[in-house]
Amino acid sequence: MDHLLHSTQLAQLAFPEAVPAVTMAHYLFVSAAMFVMGLIGFLTRRNMIVMFLCTELMFQAAGLALIAFGRHHLGADGQTFVIFVLCVAAAEAAMALALVVLLFRHKETLSAQAWKELNG
Amino acid sequence: MINTTFLTNTLAMLQDGHAVDTHAPAVSHAVSQASEVGTGPKWILLIIGLPMLTTLLCGLYAMLGNKTKLPAWTTVAGAGIAFIATLVMYMSFDGTPYTVHAFDWIQIHFGEKSMVANFSFYIDTLTIYWMLFVTGLATLIALYASEYMSHDLGTSYCRFFGAFGLFVFSMACLVMGDNLLMLYLGWEGVGLCSYLLIGYFYKKPEAVAAAKKAFIVNRIGDLGLALGVYLTFVHFGTLEYAVLFSDPTLLGYIESAKVGNFEAIPAIAQWIPLLFMVGAFGKSAQFPLYVWLPDAMEGPTPVSALIHAATMVTAGVYLIARTYPVFLTSEHALPIVAWVGTITALLSATIAMAQFDIKRIMAYSTVSQLGYMFAGLGLLTTTGAAFHVLTHAFFKALLFLACGAVMHGFAGQLDLRKLSGVAWMKGWGIVGVTMLVGCMNLAGLPYITSGFYSKDMILAEAFITPGYAMIGWILVFTAILTAYYTFRVYFRVFVGPEHAEPGDEHHDDDHEFHPHPPGWAINTVLITLACASMLAISLAYIDKAEHHGWAGSMISQSTASFHSPYAEAAHHAHIEHTEMHAVDGPVGHAAPGTVFGMDAHTGMIIVSGLGAIFGVLVAAFFHGPKGWQGLFLGGRTEAAKCRMDSVAKRFGPIPKMAENKWYVDEIYMAILVTPLRIISHIFHWIDKLLIDGLVNLFGFLPRLLAWILKPSQSGVLQGYAVSMAGGVTILLLVVFVIILQGGAA
Amino acid sequence: MDTIISPIALYLICVLGAIGIAVALPRRNKALEITGGLVFAAAIGLAVLVLGLNATESGQPLPNYFFYPFAILALGASARMITHPRPVYSALYFILTIIASCGMYLLLSAEFMAFALVIIYAGAILITYLFVIMLATQAPSSASEQFIDETDSIAREPVISCVIGFVLLAILTTAMFRGVSDLPAASHPELAQDSVLLNLPAKVERILDRAGQLEEGERLLRNDDGTAAIDIVNRTITIENSDLHTTRTLGPDQWPDKLVAGNLDRLGYNLMHDHPMTIEIAGIILLMAMLGAVVLARKHIELEEDLKATQARKLGESMSGGNA
Repeated sequence: MDHLLHSTQLAQLAFPEAVPAVTMAHYLFVSAAMFVMGLIGFLTRRNMIVMFLCTELMFQAAGLALIAFGRHHLGADGQTFVIFVLCVAAAEAAMALALVVLLFRHKETLSAQAWKELNG
Repeated sequence: MINTTFLTNTLAMLQDGHAVDTHAPAVSHAVSQASEVGTGPKWILLIIGLPMLTTLLCGLYAMLGNKTKLPAWTTVAGAGIAFIATLVMYMSFDGTPYTVHAFDWIQIHFGEKSMVANFSFYIDTLTIYWMLFVTGLATLIALYASEYMSHDLGTSYCRFFGAFGLFVFSMACLVMGDNLLMLYLGWEGVGLCSYLLIGYFYKKPEAVAAAKKAFIVNRIGDLGLALGVYLTFVHFGTLEYAVLFSDPTLLGYIESAKVGNFEAIPAIAQWIPLLFMVGAFGKSAQFPLYVWLPDAMEGPTPVSALIHAATMVTAGVYLIARTYPVFLTSEHALPIVAWVGTITALLSATIAMAQFDIKRIMAYSTVSQLGYMFAGLGLLTTTGAAFHVLTHAFFKALLFLACGAVMHGFAGQLDLRKLSGVAWMKGWGIVGVTMLVGCMNLAGLPYITSGFYSKDMILAEAFITPGYAMIGWILVFTAILTAYYTFRVYFRVFVGPEHAEPGDEHHDDDHEFHPHPPGWAINTVLITLACASMLAISLAYIDKAEHHGWAGSMISQSTASFHSPYAEAAHHAHIEHTEMHAVDGPVGHAAPGTVFGMDAHTGMIIVSGLGAIFGVLVAAFFHGPKGWQGLFLGGRTEAAKCRMDSVAKRFGPIPKMAENKWYVDEIYMAILVTPLRIISHIFHWIDKLLIDGLVNLFGFLPRLLAWILKPSQSGVLQGYAVSMAGGVTILLLVVFVIILQGGAA
Repeated sequence: MDTIISPIALYLICVLGAIGIAVALPRRNKALEITGGLVFAAAIGLAVLVLGLNATESGQPLPNYFFYPFAILALGASARMITHPRPVYSALYFILTIIASCGMYLLLSAEFMAFALVIIYAGAILITYLFVIMLATQAPSSASEQFIDETDSIAREPVISCVIGFVLLAILTTAMFRGVSDLPAASHPELAQDSVLLNLPAKVERILDRAGQLEEGERLLRNDDGTAAIDIVNRTITIENSDLHTTRTLGPDQWPDKLVAGNLDRLGYNLMHDHPMTIEIAGIILLMAMLGAVVLARKHIELEEDLKATQARKLGESMSGGNA
């Protein structure tokens, strides 16, 4: 435990944030960009697994934003929430993959385009 | 405005139980007499109720699938009892008009004004006079029709007599109604029944076309009548005769009109009679609305006899007679009536001369005689017009029924070039004799026919009333033509060598044709009518000195009376030839009432009598058969040809034009019908393309919307995701751009 | 603070990025993909430049350099992830993205989360993804090794997606860059997470004990509400003697070195104290996910299989019976 504490202090020393030239906006920009790219990937890729991977990317981006805001407001809530986001992401990943396996069994293809019987 | 005098009088009479005694035969007193009206006995309603009952019963028979002559007997019984009731009504009439109230119909009160038009019936001498011959003829013709229509037993038979009964009911409403709205109800009702009955043979296209034509042309007239009724209400504030004819405003107008001061009468009041006139022209087939009557011959002959000879077409005459006080207030109405009547009489007489279908000839003759009646009305002799209505009803019905018997017996043959010597065929004797009686009446042979007396009354009046001498001479000329064409029919069809070709209704080609003489019903009716025509002569002598005959005595006590100052002057002139009053009338100092220096009545007797005989002789010469049957003048030896054919050729195209009715129908077609058709086509296309298009567009829009939106339902997950993401983006854009920017600015 | 980055530059970055990604997404013409990638790289470079330059212009001292590498790595890896035709490579690039995120978490003083991210996400979730990819992709034969399934090789409607995406990005970042307050300094007193020690009296006692500050029968004084009687600011500790009912205070110089609350303490305390129910619910969610996955992905056993199972059992019995 002590080592851990010590290394944390080291980390903080090693990564000086002496001047807040990098504002929260920078982190949020990265978060937004990652989210958008996850969105684009979800909309464009046809492979179902890659689609869900992109949703995971969107979760990632959300987590980054949460941490940034948590750091801004100086509470531990941001990080707590990211734990829950992680939980949900894991659960969602499990379900998504189970569904993908099921769907793959039916049509022997991973293409999301194959499933369009509810069209009108 | 409610005439309180009328109400108080009525109430007083109800309390007292007897009518107020007013015997005042003078002029405007007859008009104001209308205000003192009693209430009559309720059995009068039988006259109206029984025909309606017979209609309903005929409908019931049709529903029950009756195949006997029961509908006919029901109608005969109903009309007969109505006739008896009318007789009783006549006998019990004591000189005071009264009202019989059936039920309240229209009672609208708004503020001070009110419109009251009840289902009640106004009985005065004019009504009784008219109803007598309406119900009488209805009974006789129903009897005739029972045999005539007997080849059509079943639902059609019931339909015929149902419409017949409805017609009698409507005519009763028209004649007996106590307000203009009841008159209008009856007016429309008879128009409807005319349509139903003309179109009785609804499988025949010509009949259907004729029925529509009759209805539509009548409608044009009805518009005039309706407008007249509206104006009457607007100007005088009432529709009821009793109130109207005692209205002080109206009486004031009449007084001004008598002295020729027409400027004092407002234009609206002068328009009312003109509009009524239009209605009368439509219903009574005057120029230019006469075109429906000849075509109406497509209907069965009883219909032609009853409706288009005796009753419905006289409705116009009745209208003018009933609303005569109103007509007096207009400067131009009565002159127009007189001239239109005259022109119609001449025109249709010329057409009748060139027709070959005997029923058509009779139809044109009806139009012509109606012209006489209208001329009579315009010449201020309502007596003459009314008497002519009566005599014309008898002899024209007789003529039609005789022609009908011929048609019935010869399988629909009506062409006078194909029939000859019918009177000598076995079983046709009665038809021949009665036909001769009718023809004589129509021609107006002097002293021995009732038609002569009635026509003479009108002709004489033409010379008595100043300014109408021209009308008089035209009418005399027309009388000559009438005699000619009437006896043309007689000399061609009924006398001469026996010859008959069957008509269109002859079906068996291998079966030899035998003419089918009429049965007892037809013969009975024909004899009755012939006797009635002859007996009507006596009516001319009753009350002759005082009122110019029984008709005069009836008319003069009603609102239709108007003793023209000129007539009074001529009356005096008749007694004392040299002492004539120069009357200051609108035409100035004229010396009225002279014909060739003689008194008008005497002069006319001579002139018209000679004219009639001359016409008969001309007809005999051109169309009569050889020998005594053609009065030793004729030279016809076969049915189809006669001397007239060669003579007609010399007149060039004129006979052909007359035969084609002077192309009046074609002119109407070109001026009115074809443009209307074109306009209707235009509107049809506008409706189809624009309006339907617009509506269809509305119906099409959801489909269009669906067609646009359908691709979005591709079923592919990512497609939906794209829409979702796009939607979120757009929303954020909107929020950001509008709200945030707006806030920042 | 005014706009950090001028809107025009921002939108230009977005447009370039959109073009780059749109072109780089899997398409038939591979050369074009490379071009797209280069365009996207240019966009990132431009972003870095603008952000970095702006920071220097405002006269600030040296910016925090470490943010930029991680940011570039994260963006580049995520771009490659979405544009790579082969799914396995997508997953691997995703792992790279996670590592970059982890670095940024560290910069934001969320150490625990950084490592938790790597362990859970990269270590568990992504491995599962890789397993399923392996499961669902047929092994390529030697002839078609280079063959990429059409599913992966062609992107679906890249243009509209990129437009939507980068318009969204433009909107979000415009709002962001209108003026966002700075992160509080690292030396911000609240950032010092020691205050949580107040709520962890047992931990404080243990550390004191280990540091040898506690005598016989002594224990840490607890306040009435259960918090430890220590003063973080003045760095004093109050110890009570339960037998003698006396208290004594330790001064700042006696503050044990190890009495520091780390990120983990803080996070843990927050989790347990402020969100207890959420933990339960999260647990239930995970349970349901597990059950759901099992139910969804299982195979239905047909009746013939049942017969086969009994037959196999009989065979086994006969064999074991033979052996015995």
